[in-house]
Amino acid sequence: MSDKDAFMTRLGFVTAAMGQAIGTGNIWRFPRVATANGGGPFMVAYVIAVFVWAVPLLMAEMSLGMHTRKGSVGAFRDFMGKKYTWMGGWHAFVCLALGAYYSVTMGWAIKYFVLSITTLRPGVDTELVWNSFISSPWQGIFYHAISVAIAAVVVFRGVNKGIELASKLMIPTLFVLLIIAMIRALTLPGATGGLNYLFNPDFSKLLNGRVWLEAFTQAAWSTGAGWGFMTAYAAYSREKEDIACNAFIVGLSDTSAALLAGMTVIPTIYALAPENLYEAIGAGNTGLTFIWLARLLPTMPAGTLVSALFFLAMTFAAVTSLYAMYEVGIKSYFIDAGWSRRKAASVVVALCFLGGLPSAINVEFLNNQDQVWGVGLLVSGLFVAIAMMKYGVEKVRKEIINPVSELYVGKWWNWCILCFPAMFTIVCGWWTYQQFTWYPATWWNPFETYSPGTMFLQWALVIVIFMLFNNTLAKAIINNDEVVKGEVMGESIKGGARS
Amino acid sequence: MSTGSLITMIVILGLVWGGALYFMNVAFSSERKKAQTK
Repeated sequence: MSDKDAFMTRLGFVTAAMGQAIGTGNIWRFPRVATANGGGPFMVAYVIAVFVWAVPLLMAEMSLGMHTRKGSVGAFRDFMGKKYTWMGGWHAFVCLALGAYYSVTMGWAIKYFVLSITTLRPGVDTELVWNSFISSPWQGIFYHAISVAIAAVVVFRGVNKGIELASKLMIPTLFVLLIIAMIRALTLPGATGGLNYLFNPDFSKLLNGRVWLEAFTQAAWSTGAGWGFMTAYAAYSREKEDIACNAFIVGLSDTSAALLAGMTVIPTIYALAPENLYEAIGAGNTGLTFIWLARLLPTMPAGTLVSALFFLAMTFAAVTSLYAMYEVGIKSYFIDAGWSRRKAASVVVALCFLGGLPSAINVEFLNNQDQVWGVGLLVSGLFVAIAMMKYGVEKVRKEIINPVSELYVGKWWNWCILCFPAMFTIVCGWWTYQQFTWYPATWWNPFETYSPGTMFLQWALVIVIFMLFNNTLAKAIINNDEVVKGEVMGESIKGGARS
Repeated sequence: MSTGSLITMIVILGLVWGGALYFMNVAFSSERKKAQTK
């Protein structure tokens, strides 16, 4: 039996899990949203969100994967019953839909890594550079293709020699790069003033509901909780991989990376252009990163090097999430159905490349997909919580989580999962309400980039298709008792032999 | 940097970075023990 399709060490599993969580959102969204929402109060709300939303959901997802040894589709089928297989179909689809355009954003990071070495110098009009890049379809496609190719190499090599090895190399490197960038930023004259904004102790803002909603949404998106990554990775884990401790490591290391990025980005802007701080954080993810930081980083001493390291860190953060997204599709739809890794990876990589082309050509399409499937991830998280409730939260805690965990998980976990639908309703409801306010007259229009109409239409299409093909999907996934058992259960899937 | 911001930063970083290092220590010391008993 090949060892390609299983994590062989805990370090490999943990770094891969950290890699799926740490993405571009930690670097370009967290610092911006944290500062815009009061700094200190946002941090408090965010840490609470990590403990009551993200960590419990990560544990739930790992339980799904470890108990069933399957990706999302098979996991939902075996955990909840055949008629709920469509939920797994949705779960994996949302991840692949994100993967399709995520490679485009990774391509932007690669492009800016190259530009930071060759072009980005003090005085360069970064707005012009960004606008000319983003309006060039061929450049978008070229860097999208490079990103897809890098992630493809990893997934083609399998779990042990691809994902595990790449994560073991890239995650420590990413932290080293972020630490170097943070030290450089904090040693700029006046930079510590930026920390006043990031850790502003005006806790009266905790009474503002928006701060909590932004914190919970950021935690849900950033940690990868409910996305399907941990279900797929747990299916490949060693037989008695720890659930509780690993979930805390993922949640807290993701937040650590976000804090490192925050302590780099905000002090840099404050030190180099204090009068433009709010203009920069109000410029959105791309405006902050590719216009403001691209302009300011080269102006500091050793700026070319810092700029290159920053965009390289961003590229590493993106690629460790991108191959995790591909793996969710590879495992859930194909390997669990008995396909070989090579064939499964070829199909998923090709589909994601083609699916990402419209986003590479037109940034408005990317924004639309980001909105639709970004909020769709919250629905995926809800499905995981429902799966736990259907199986029995107490049963999951007692029979799946605690027997393999070094830390005892108390009944607080049950409460977090049981309260999840209420938390989901508030957070998702708030996002949807916001969308209605953006398009008061045309909210129903599916061709508006951020309208509720486009979101609900695309969700409905996917859900209806998976519901129609529910039985086909359920039958396609091989049962565990049909699979030849290996020493490590995750390895056995590769055999894919029907009895 | 104001005292309030400094205290907030120390508490948040202590909780998040300290927490991450604590759980990593729990995880990998357990792995070391397992390896020694084998």
